[in-house]
Amino acid sequence: MSAKRRPPGEVLLKVENISLSFGGVRALSDISFEIRRHEVFSIIGPNGAGKSSMLNCINGFYHPQGGSITYKGRTRRQMRPHEVASQGIARTFQNIALFRGMSTLDNIMTGRSLKMRAGLLAQAIRFGPALKEELEHREFCERIIDFLEIESIRKVPVGRLPYGLQKRVELGRALAAEPELLLLDEPMAGMNLEEKRDMCRFILDVNDEFGTTICMIEHDMGVVMDISDRVVVLDYGRKIGEGQPEEVRSNQAVIDAYLGVQH
Amino acid sequence: MDLLYKIFLDPFVQMGAAPDLLLQTLWEGLVGGVLYALIALGFVLIFKASGVFNFAQGIMVVFAGLTLVGLFGVISGLGNVNEHVAAFAALGLTVGVMFVLAVGIERLVLRPLVNQPDIILFMATFGLTYVLIGVGELIFGGEPKVMITGELFLPRGSTDWEVFGGFVSFQHIDLAAAIIASLMVAGLAVFFSKTRIGRALRAVADSHKAALSVGISLEQIWVIVWFASGLVALVTGIMWAARSDVSFALQIIALRALPVLILGGFTSIPGAIVGGLIIGVGEKLGEFYWGPLLGGGIESWLAYFIALVFLLFRPQGLFGEKIIERV
Amino acid sequence: MAEAATQEHAQPGTPQHALAGGGEIPPGQVAGDTFPKLLAEHVRLRGDRTAIREKAFGIWQSWTWRQVQAEVTEMAAGLAVFGLQRGDKLAIVGDNRPQLYWTFAAVQSLGGIAVPVYQDAIASEMAFVLDHADARFAVVENQEQVDKLLAIMDRLPKLERIFYSDPRGLRHYEQPFLLSLERLKEEGRAFLANHPGHVETEAAAGRGSDIAVFCYTSGTTGNPKGVMLSHDNLIRSARLSAAFDGLSDKDEILAYLPMAWVGDHYFSYGQAFVTGFVVNCPESSDTVMTDLKELGPTYFFAPPRIFETILTQVMIRMEDAGWIKRRLFNYFLNVARRAGLAILEGRPVPPADRLLYWLGELLIYGPLKNTLGFSRIRVAYTAGEAIGPDIFDFFRSLGVNLKQLYGQTESTVYICLQTNDDVKADTVGPPAPGVEIRITEAGEVIYRSPGVFVGYYKNDEATRSTKTEDGWVHTGDAGIFTKDGHLKIIDRAKDVGRLNGGSLFAPKYIENKLKFFPYISEAVAFGHGRDFVACFINIDLNAVGNWAERRNLAYASYTDLAGKPEVYELIRGNIEQVNADLAADPALAGSQVRRFLILHKELDADDGELTRTRKVRRGTIAERYAKLIDALYDGSRSVEIEARVSFEDGRTGLIRADLRIEDAKVFETMRKAG
Repeated sequence: MSAKRRPPGEVLLKVENISLSFGGVRALSDISFEIRRHEVFSIIGPNGAGKSSMLNCINGFYHPQGGSITYKGRTRRQMRPHEVASQGIARTFQNIALFRGMSTLDNIMTGRSLKMRAGLLAQAIRFGPALKEELEHREFCERIIDFLEIESIRKVPVGRLPYGLQKRVELGRALAAEPELLLLDEPMAGMNLEEKRDMCRFILDVNDEFGTTICMIEHDMGVVMDISDRVVVLDYGRKIGEGQPEEVRSNQAVIDAYLGVQH
Repeated sequence: MDLLYKIFLDPFVQMGAAPDLLLQTLWEGLVGGVLYALIALGFVLIFKASGVFNFAQGIMVVFAGLTLVGLFGVISGLGNVNEHVAAFAALGLTVGVMFVLAVGIERLVLRPLVNQPDIILFMATFGLTYVLIGVGELIFGGEPKVMITGELFLPRGSTDWEVFGGFVSFQHIDLAAAIIASLMVAGLAVFFSKTRIGRALRAVADSHKAALSVGISLEQIWVIVWFASGLVALVTGIMWAARSDVSFALQIIALRALPVLILGGFTSIPGAIVGGLIIGVGEKLGEFYWGPLLGGGIESWLAYFIALVFLLFRPQGLFGEKIIERV
Repeated sequence: MAEAATQEHAQPGTPQHALAGGGEIPPGQVAGDTFPKLLAEHVRLRGDRTAIREKAFGIWQSWTWRQVQAEVTEMAAGLAVFGLQRGDKLAIVGDNRPQLYWTFAAVQSLGGIAVPVYQDAIASEMAFVLDHADARFAVVENQEQVDKLLAIMDRLPKLERIFYSDPRGLRHYEQPFLLSLERLKEEGRAFLANHPGHVETEAAAGRGSDIAVFCYTSGTTGNPKGVMLSHDNLIRSARLSAAFDGLSDKDEILAYLPMAWVGDHYFSYGQAFVTGFVVNCPESSDTVMTDLKELGPTYFFAPPRIFETILTQVMIRMEDAGWIKRRLFNYFLNVARRAGLAILEGRPVPPADRLLYWLGELLIYGPLKNTLGFSRIRVAYTAGEAIGPDIFDFFRSLGVNLKQLYGQTESTVYICLQTNDDVKADTVGPPAPGVEIRITEAGEVIYRSPGVFVGYYKNDEATRSTKTEDGWVHTGDAGIFTKDGHLKIIDRAKDVGRLNGGSLFAPKYIENKLKFFPYISEAVAFGHGRDFVACFINIDLNAVGNWAERRNLAYASYTDLAGKPEVYELIRGNIEQVNADLAADPALAGSQVRRFLILHKELDADDGELTRTRKVRRGTIAERYAKLIDALYDGSRSVEIEARVSFEDGRTGLIRADLRIEDAKVFETMRKAG
């Protein structure tokens, strides 16, 4: 129902000529694209197209052999994941990576690691400013819990939650870092229709309420075409298309790639 | 029949007949158990954070002890220094050394080996063990040294408690060891459950990549954990050596802590504590009441036996966490 | 029923139509004949005490009576700006939220009528109610409800404006008639600056006889009817029953049942405004059990279904517990069974049992009640359906003062209330204070009380056929009075039928007996105009699933489980127990269940087979499952079925199954002992 969203702003992330290989296997060849502020940007492509590798490059898990990534005007060749996180990039994983032994709340609190400033000793004895800080972070996390409608599982160890809810907690943990760029690796994989609908709503709400830029890998074409502003298509590590959903849908190379995979 | 009687009844008759002796044995078992728990804690911290079984934990105890005594010798040798001041200065410096050691291990061992299979890291800790032995012998020499207990204000002597028509004797150094170890454990527990670092450690233990993605620096956590486990080694070294000497033979106590880990699980801090106490008490009871029956010398394997018997009844270990097959 | 004479009962010592003049006020209650006036009294007497709480962001947030009045006044002023006139209707849709409760008072301050609507109603049901009630305004909780209303807006020409409480996701909605509650209050504040005292003046003009709310009843047949309740209805009933149970401003209640249900309105608004107790709104509908535990209310209402779920969960948890715990639990449960009821009802108990019970309280009952959030309960009620005697006694024997009440929307909730010291599982107690009850020749229960509704909105015909000139209301229930003056409801009057052999057939009575077994979640009995009684069974997926797991019985789905021979055996055992029970009563012995089948799907409100309050819709079922019913009576051993079901995600689909039909043993009528 949302009638209009924030207009896309300046370029937030610029990927230029990224090449990545493992041993002799080329995972990505010469990929370039730009993500603009406030956009919902999707990376699609058949299995093995290099989509997850692309996200892993952006967030510092992989170090591409060639090309550069420019984020908020700063270009980097190599950066470690926790440094990337401190720049305001948060992510979720294709095969949920939660802290299974911890409660939902603790998982989300962990997402605020980078925002905590109080000294260790002060924290240990819950002293004055540290206590205040802890409470502020707790309140922020409670707002996320409210936002994602997961109040009822606040204290439940996430390992015991059903898949769909775990995905939601993972999104919550990513949001806790107040990211400017949110990387979502197949946020709707394995979900039923209702869970997908909820997840779509959350993603759009995040984008809308906080202005967070979203970069998403997703297989469900219906979802991608519905909520993305722009789409880039990868196949065998190469970029074969880019543009607004309608353009991509009618792009012959894209159709071929998909048909090729699906016999 | 007679043997069965001696195994299953006689020890209990003895316990009932001389309750003061039983108490004495239990007490000594508890003190031993606290120290086992400390060592196990050192293992658990590192295992949780990096999934590595740190073979070098035992030698770290020795190394810490030797460093403390050695530095004390150096400072005392400077001239007119009060022995207590020198002792505490040495203690402070040793803490510093343990920190440098932690940073060094992270830089030189862990970081280059990141993303290697766990077995490689395990082998690296073997290497670390021999490096520490070599460096230790080079600097401090191979002969046993006396721990500077008095200089650190650690009490000597004992107090007798009259009870059940007999008495139980409490060595003051044991009391001190129990208290200091408990404080240390409590401190670590608070640190790792209440602080951001603690949450980060649990996060790292659960999932490396998720921890990285929320901005937790593995390197930082590793340094902190190795440092914490170095401090635990230092305290263990002081307490253990206070009852004998500081020598390289001490490193075998690390092996004594293994059954504790089998019992308590490699990832559970409460498991290490409770497991340590069970093993400590069980070992002393076994030695005292059943030992003579088997002609003594059972302490080398009794702890393993206790752990195995326990596992028969509770295969999931003490606190239900899976015992991980990585060792 | 052979009893010829009309029975008449009234609570002894209660003047007929007590407080009809509105003069006398029970101690501890505040004066006033409308809700806005009661609110003003509370502000005067206890302005800085907590009136209502809501758990939000993990914390219980609270509002004092003074703050509540300020909110109500601003909202009322805002509504005045948008033109709400005396007698105008305003719909309220959403979960239990303070803002929505305040809306009632705001509307009533201006002499308007509040129409709470079930928040989980589907669009067409909602459209009917809003249209029928002539609602000019709607106040709704959030985007979900806004979307629902927007979808039916074209069918609601009389609806002028929608106000929403939670703005989340609504930022870009551009409909001019859609405004936030904040905006409403802003308008209100601006208006009040120029017209101070306007709301107070309007509120003072209200009369007790004014209509306060329309409560739509979810009828088992046809469209819902709008029951008009006046301030007098609600306030007088609330006064009598609050005094009956000694409720005061020290009590706490959890408001978690649908706001559109007359019960919630009466407990969380009516009684709260009369006594000043604190109303607590849960964080969300999923957190009710956690919130209950945290809060520990002193006064509690839940339908039997919830008590049943709680008991099942306790039992399942105990099965999984260690053996020491389980043994202790079972031992002390037996102690409670033996002595608990007597102790609760103040009857004599052997000292040994008293000691054991005390120990049990320390070890088991206390911790258990604490986990459930029942430790502070002084008064708890259940109603709506019959509650299983085992379930009922379980909670009572733990020391939870659980009682039954009997009533309906038309009576402003209650007709009978059980007294603290005389509670029976199979009756609903004596007539409540101020209520007269008669049983008609046909066996139907009729009553007269201060709570008797004003009428059905825009349905004089229904009003006339339900309510007599002199104020007697037909309940439609068949009932009998026991010797000690308690009312016992056996069925809906119209559902009581006869078998071909002439013996009485009270389907609901049989069904309830079946549903008391934990494995049976729903039962539908047939027999009117037939040779014998036969029934459909719905198994309880949780309980039977657990039972199957413990027996290593693998199953893929509800349908699969329901068809297992082992499950049939289990259910047959339950049915035969019911038969033995029925055989003990000569009047009902003829209606023992001879044949049954276990349905392949759960009866569902979304498929129209149950009402929203989970009552069986016999007509729909008889029509949809005609083939199955025939098979029950033609001697077949199985029947093939194809059925349409609605899935969770809103799609519908067909499933096919082969249903077994089995026989159950019946018993000779037993002679009564002694």
